[in-house]
Amino acid sequence: MVYLCAALVAFICTAPFLWMASTAFKPPREVLTWPPIILPKNPTLNNFVVLFRDSLFTTFLQNSLVTAFGSTAISITIAVLGAYSLTRYTYRGRNQMATFVLLGYMFPPIVLIIPFFVWFYNMGLTDNYLGLVLAYVAVGLPFAVWLLWAFFQSIPLELEEAAWIDGATRARAIWHVIVPLAIPGVIATSIFTFIVAWNDYLFSLVLMSTDPHKTLTVGLADLLERPTLDWGVIMAAGVLITIPALIFFVITQNYLIKGWGAGAVKG
Amino acid sequence: MLPTWRSELDRLLAAVRANKQLPGILLIAPAALTMAALLGYPVLFNLWLGFFKKDILLPEWTWVGLDNYVFYMFDQQFWSSFALATLYMLLTMSTQLVLGVGVALLLNEGFRGQLLVRGVALFPYMIPVTLSVILWRWLFNNQYGVVNWALLEWGLIKEPVIWLGPDYIFWSLIVVSIWTYFPFVLISVLARLQTIPPELYEAAKVDGAGPWSRFAHITVPQLRTVLFIIILLRGVWMFTKFDIVWLWGSQSWGAAGEELRILPVYTYHRIFNMFQAGSGAALANIMFMILLIAAFLYFKVYRREETL
Repeated sequence: MVYLCAALVAFICTAPFLWMASTAFKPPREVLTWPPIILPKNPTLNNFVVLFRDSLFTTFLQNSLVTAFGSTAISITIAVLGAYSLTRYTYRGRNQMATFVLLGYMFPPIVLIIPFFVWFYNMGLTDNYLGLVLAYVAVGLPFAVWLLWAFFQSIPLELEEAAWIDGATRARAIWHVIVPLAIPGVIATSIFTFIVAWNDYLFSLVLMSTDPHKTLTVGLADLLERPTLDWGVIMAAGVLITIPALIFFVITQNYLIKGWGAGAVKG
Repeated sequence: MLPTWRSELDRLLAAVRANKQLPGILLIAPAALTMAALLGYPVLFNLWLGFFKKDILLPEWTWVGLDNYVFYMFDQQFWSSFALATLYMLLTMSTQLVLGVGVALLLNEGFRGQLLVRGVALFPYMIPVTLSVILWRWLFNNQYGVVNWALLEWGLIKEPVIWLGPDYIFWSLIVVSIWTYFPFVLISVLARLQTIPPELYEAAKVDGAGPWSRFAHITVPQLRTVLFIIILLRGVWMFTKFDIVWLWGSQSWGAAGEELRILPVYTYHRIFNMFQAGSGAALANIMFMILLIAAFLYFKVYRREETL
């Protein structure tokens, strides 16, 4: 019984992907058929060739990578300092800051699109990496602080204090005691912050209006709007996005689950 | 001149060193300032812009006072999009909860392959929403969709359902949304379940408690806090969901049509299809207020239940 239900869950979660993969390798005349052909009879790579020839797939990919990496690097740098401060120092306004971070974490992005569009349009930052990176920092930073804060809290303060007593300066104590313990948390947080930017559709839709600047999510959605809808090509694009993600997940699954325990989810 | 300047500086440095609060404040400052500029300032900007009539692209601002808000009070489209957003949130959230908690309890039973199923269940949630929309648009395809084919084969329907047509598009959206977001509930609940000490169950067993009673008196109370947070987060995020709804209806008639026009989609429509930035800002503010009030009430009710 348990196995049956588990198998059903696994099937529901994976079947759409398997169907995507099957469609991606079909020649056009096997795609639009009734009844559907489950496995391609004459597997072909033609859909992938068409994808690279007729769309800006590599450009979209590059735009997604640049903006997601850029915003993650900025968010994590600022967030590490902030989260360390929240867990290791006391000062006035610290509790208010914590509330602010939680509100930022829950913040609905739809509220941000008007100010961002109006400002960036006037400053010439639409169709510009910098504008999109700033938008992703707005969403990613509170999320990263929130997460790192949970991770840093799990590192006992006594360890650091013990190092001071042994005569280490604060900087040395941080470098030799805290950094090695904090690295897994920083990695997990970076992954999640990256995913938030990588998966974004709304900001990319609003801030990047011309094809050479679009990210993958918007570029891919545009394939659905073409007058001649080619499902084989669309699914080929889906496969190309899913495979690296799949490999990435398998490698980082432990980090992901650990992060989930600390509240590492958004959207 | 120079010596006094030097001693002033020394005094200042000494004060800085003596100040225990300063290092913490300096470290938090970049995060605080960035968030103030990128989240706090936009909220104030929206509040201010809501009192104006402004084209999204043109620079003129015309003061109209509360006109934008008065307009929405009598705008039938506002009320219907508000109702639809609420319905969308309630339907998707309740199903996500039931499915997520149910499957989490199941996976918690512990069997071989548990890790695999958990990993696989992560997938729908971690992929870009664009991709899950594309996958399901193909599965729900009106003419060649596998969903229709399977339902026909099993004799559940007599003729193909036009899933993406005006009659069923809302319901197919519900299915896609649940598929995409239920793993969030599943993994969160599972993570919590695995921290419940097994001794609690052992002790209850010894005391003669049956499976149902163990569930009601150990599992449910242990899950309370995590469920509170899940409902809060999912509620806020489902109520303000834009991307999946917009993409699901992104045929020429879909996005502009009434079937999927929930509040965030209506806001976008006002701003970028009708070019009304001021009016759109007012709508975003209304949405923000609704969220704040709902969250406040939710916290209050939860607190009251805690004390009972």
